[in-house]
Amino acid sequence: MDLHFTPEQIAFRDEVRAWIAENLERPFSLEKRDPKHDADSLVEVRRAWQKKLHAAGYLGMGWPAEWGGRGASEADEALLQAELAAADAPQVPNFLGISLLGPALIHHGSEEQRRRFIPKMLACDEIWCQGFSEPGAGSDLASLRTRAERDGSDWRITGQKVWTTFGLWSDWIFVLARTDMDDRYGGISFFLVPIDQPGVEMRGLKQITGESEFGEVFFDGALAKGDHLVGQVGEGWRIAMTVLSYERGAASIMYPAQFDTQLDGLIRGVHEAGRAERDDVEEKLGRLVVENEVMRGNGLRTLADLAAGNAPGPESSIEKIFWSEYHQRLTDSALDLLGPQGQLVASSPSARDEVDWAYEYLWSRAGSIYSGSNEIQRNIIAKRVLRLPSGK
Amino acid sequence: MQFELDEDRALLKQSTRELLEKEAPLSETRAVMEDTPEGFSKPFHAQLGELGYPGLLLPEDDGGMGALAFAAVLAEMGRVALPGPFLDLALGVRTLSGCDHEAAARLGERARAGEALVVMARLEDPTRSDPDAPEARFEAGRVRGTKTFVPFGAHADALLVTTREGLALVERPGAGFSATPLPTIDHAQRFAEIAIDEPAELVAEGEAAARLIEEHERLGALGASAGLLGLMERALEITVAYISEREAFGVPIGSLQVLQHRAADMLMQVESSRSAVYRAAWSEEQEPETAAYLTAVAKAWAGAAARYVCGQAIQLHGGVGYTWEYDPHIFLKRTKTLESFYGSTRAQLGRALALRQPTL
Repeated sequence: MDLHFTPEQIAFRDEVRAWIAENLERPFSLEKRDPKHDADSLVEVRRAWQKKLHAAGYLGMGWPAEWGGRGASEADEALLQAELAAADAPQVPNFLGISLLGPALIHHGSEEQRRRFIPKMLACDEIWCQGFSEPGAGSDLASLRTRAERDGSDWRITGQKVWTTFGLWSDWIFVLARTDMDDRYGGISFFLVPIDQPGVEMRGLKQITGESEFGEVFFDGALAKGDHLVGQVGEGWRIAMTVLSYERGAASIMYPAQFDTQLDGLIRGVHEAGRAERDDVEEKLGRLVVENEVMRGNGLRTLADLAAGNAPGPESSIEKIFWSEYHQRLTDSALDLLGPQGQLVASSPSARDEVDWAYEYLWSRAGSIYSGSNEIQRNIIAKRVLRLPSGK
Repeated sequence: MQFELDEDRALLKQSTRELLEKEAPLSETRAVMEDTPEGFSKPFHAQLGELGYPGLLLPEDDGGMGALAFAAVLAEMGRVALPGPFLDLALGVRTLSGCDHEAAARLGERARAGEALVVMARLEDPTRSDPDAPEARFEAGRVRGTKTFVPFGAHADALLVTTREGLALVERPGAGFSATPLPTIDHAQRFAEIAIDEPAELVAEGEAAARLIEEHERLGALGASAGLLGLMERALEITVAYISEREAFGVPIGSLQVLQHRAADMLMQVESSRSAVYRAAWSEEQEPETAAYLTAVAKAWAGAAARYVCGQAIQLHGGVGYTWEYDPHIFLKRTKTLESFYGSTRAQLGRALALRQPTL
């Protein structure tokens, strides 16, 4: 057993930490509080940050060298993500493009597609959103109904997608659409669709936070060029499932790092409120510290398994449930321990600086739903890890 | 990076499992727990002694195998809910070896061979499971005081007694020694309250004694966490087996989503405990500056986790889970003992908060 990172990995971590200190002007939570910003200018803050990360060579580190990769391991990627999260750096606009579409193109796309799309995606000259979920197909993604019909050598897309992150600011969307209405899995194909065209209407979807970071998009005969089909007709489901499995692992120690920064803020706030000595407060904070450290232990174990060449299995469901439900416990506790101050939204002059607790409290409700709801994750654990029997 | 145990330790874990399944399966030890005054099999503990198990925590050049091996063995013992003082004895052997004293060394040799049972007597207040500054005194070659919840204290050959003056060794007691049994919900545990007024040797004092006691508590917390891991791991296994077989409404109840989700939650607790326990054991060997913190984390987590998992094991067994005949209650009861001692969950939460430090 060995949970040490290699000296090279530690050196890389230190390099990243120094780079962030040099390049990140202020935490994103403070950026969001600045009255000069609106939703559009915050996207530009994110875009500028992605350009910096790209220029420094921190995007797509595990990809082939041709596409900017540097042969990085999952541990390197995880250390990078942990440092970024701890510093509260902005999320890059193309995070889904980079984590999902990039691998899809590298493993399943054509050379022409890679040349056309990857450089602009990495440089954030084009923003991508994800067109998987539909109003009637969330956890049960394979029941999606958006269809693609042949139009000469091209395709026409008709249907609706929802939960398109950064949809309002996107230039392109990668879409799962039916090329066969009867074949549940084999009837799904993977298309690249430009958003600025007559057959596409993008709307903001106002969330419980009041923001419209997500969108919904309506396709009415939207054009997808024939050479913008990724892989073969009917391969969409397989491609999507493969790239979704890449989504985890790198996040394994990112969430504990992010929550550590928030915990620091909470502990400081509780001290300032003069409540730190209370027995119940000590118990609650102690529990949050313990749970976060256990989460990091799970993450290190995942990285160790990956380093040993074991692909992340259904156990990644445990991580997803853990971080998303921990986020809810952490913010629940924060709003409790900080008193009414914790409820103040960022625009309120008396809101605490270190963490936007009101926002985090609401945002934490999303994590247990997106990326496969926690109920679906528990189904996966029961069936694929515990091998419990199926019903009739 | 690698999470798996290395070959030597994996082999030890495997051979320990085989030994326990053959010599100390729950189907046989249950009778020992209920029908013998000491509550454990003396011949089996003698066998463990012959095999060198009590010396696990000794320095490696003295036959020890380190904290990871210790955790792996304790987890295996947890799987069969092994009754008896093994954890307390292994800690006693380790503490004796850390005393620079002839009587301690002599007794340590016998204890590691399984010929003498030596445990530490440290608690004095029956309302608290975490030791405080002792009232017991060592004066003029005698120990005077009362200790409570001494594990298997009435059956011990010697006690390491925490006193204001340091660590005192009281060998096989005479007239000035009375043990009152303290039966608890875990009917396999033989705790005793012990009043002592006996000749003794002061085997460690000052800083050295404080360090030995601190180490005893930390390794005790690690061993208890590993035991808790084994208990909940096995409780989940028997529960998954039961709900996969048991039918109601024409289906195995394990096919019902509400039970599947409960079992998934149990697995999360078990696997997270495994990460935390082995990480703490690893830090004890490889990263001692984080060991106290990570051990507090592991104990605080594993105690509550095992309580949840073993409680749900009873729940998912339904009515039979509440019977004496079925095994789940054995796991729940041992869990409570291990959760309470070597730093209760509540005490460890406070420790973890106080010791919190960057670990990457």
